[in-house]
Amino acid sequence: MSNSTTENGVSSYSGTMIAVNAVIAVAVALGAVWVANGFNVFYERLDRVSPTADGGGIGTAFAQGNDIGWLVFMVEAIHAIDVLMGLFILVLVFVHWSAFRRLAGRMRQPGESRAMPDGGDTDTENGGDTQ
Amino acid sequence: MTNLDHGKFTRMTTVFHSLLAMDVFFLFFTGYAIMFNDELWWMLTLMGGSGSVAALHRVFGVGLLALITFWALMMVTTDTGRSNFSEVLPTPDDAKAFVQDIQFVLGNAEERHPNARQFAGGTADEIPLLSYVGKGVIFIFAVELALLTLSGLLIWSKTGLMQYFATQTAAIAFVVFHGLLGVVMLMGIMFHIFEHGFHPAFFPVETKAFIPRSMIPEHHDDDDEGTGIERLQLSSGWASASNLAGAATVIGIVSVLTASIYDTGYPVSLELLVGGGPTNLLLTVGVNIGMLVLFFGMVLSVYGNLVRIRWEQQMAQEEGAEAEAAD
Ligand code: HEM
Ligand code: HEM
Repeated sequence: MSNSTTENGVSSYSGTMIAVNAVIAVAVALGAVWVANGFNVFYERLDRVSPTADGGGIGTAFAQGNDIGWLVFMVEAIHAIDVLMGLFILVLVFVHWSAFRRLAGRMRQPGESRAMPDGGDTDTENGGDTQ
Repeated sequence: MTNLDHGKFTRMTTVFHSLLAMDVFFLFFTGYAIMFNDELWWMLTLMGGSGSVAALHRVFGVGLLALITFWALMMVTTDTGRSNFSEVLPTPDDAKAFVQDIQFVLGNAEERHPNARQFAGGTADEIPLLSYVGKGVIFIFAVELALLTLSGLLIWSKTGLMQYFATQTAAIAFVVFHGLLGVVMLMGIMFHIFEHGFHPAFFPVETKAFIPRSMIPEHHDDDDEGTGIERLQLSSGWASASNLAGAATVIGIVSVLTASIYDTGYPVSLELLVGGGPTNLLLTVGVNIGMLVLFFGMVLSVYGNLVRIRWEQQMAQEEGAEAEAAD
């Protein structure tokens, strides 16, 4: 029952499993939040906007007294990871951008004749003209 | 509508992908309206101020928690799910595919590697379920979403958190950490949108993630060499659209990265001024362009679903016509 196939034979997921797992997932999510919130429904509100040290916001405490070494390290490490991953993602963007341009160059350009090499397509909505 | 290529996702996965995308987009908008409030003050106001944004973020947080729990359960409890595990493991071919992509761009290779090819066309048989980027995306998003959910739960209640870490300092450091974790995801999604929105053969959206594989006809012309991309006609809007989107994606990525550095100071000073970044016009414009890219991704996700509905109707019509002809 954990597996089913569709009309054309590709495997897919069974509706029962989807329903059962969805219900469990929602229960787990709500339960986890309830536990994280100290078995409470409402959480306390802290204004996190513009919490500058100057403004005496909640960030002040961090600026003045973060002496938990591993926490400082974690924040520094995640900054470094952000920068490294950011550079890598930029490389990926540029590689894809240029690859797409090269692939586009191989396609029939807009307005070109629609005549197909195998003669299979006879509709001439673009006029079928050649330059 | 010829931009259907070989099918990939089951119907369940397409629905999941759309829900996940919606939820994550709203987590981005609410989360970074708080973190980048210098640049996105209007978003914060629009969503009803800081208190309301933080509450909304929590709502979508619970949503994400439910979604990833559901996905993990599906992968473990079903055969189809379990059969996916071997598909996500990186192979030497994936490394080759990345190198070949660079060679392809430099003009030293004639084709993209099968493990990189988004448009398979006549070569569908050679194409693995996931490209090297796809595997990377799954891996990075899975780690990111797990850590974001975990840290999100930990900062849910600041008073609760202080019980564990003794100080308010720890609580706030965790919030900062959580926000910075999401930056990789933020930049990654901008790329993801560009990759799947602006491939010339699929523009304006690659439908693989929206039309289930059960609905895509599989037929192969074995006599054809290569992908056959040269037989497709380029959309007339592609050139300018892809340049605009590419530029916006790059500006968006650079800007959110810079903003995230400013927001705590890099190389990281011990003086964390959360949200106290400089009021910089260029950065403000850049971060907002980044948000525009995200917004556009959200529109594409909806559009992908519209295309699926249209395709469903067309298939139903054709089936109806065939049934009539058979009578
Ligand atoms: C894609 C996923 C997510 C992203 C990108 C994200 C991003 C962010 C950002 C940028 C902030 C503001 C940080 C700052 O003030 O410097 C934040 C705050 C927060 N996030 Fe997330 N988050 C994500 C998922 C989650 C999840 C799954 C949960 C809960 C289970 C969660 C709970 C919270 C909470 C409680 C806050 C603090 C809000 C407050 O100040 O009251 N987040 N998030
Ligand atoms: C926050 C939002 C999103 C998340 C978390 C997300 C996540 C994912 C993941 C994990 C995959 C599988 C790995 C891969 O093949 O790349 C995937 C695939 C895909 N996504 Fe998204 N996605 C998001 C938004 C979008 C949007 C906006 C689009 C449309 C432009 C899109 C289009 C696709 C397509 C076409 C694929 C299939 C790629 C393939 O395997 O060939 N996604 N997405």
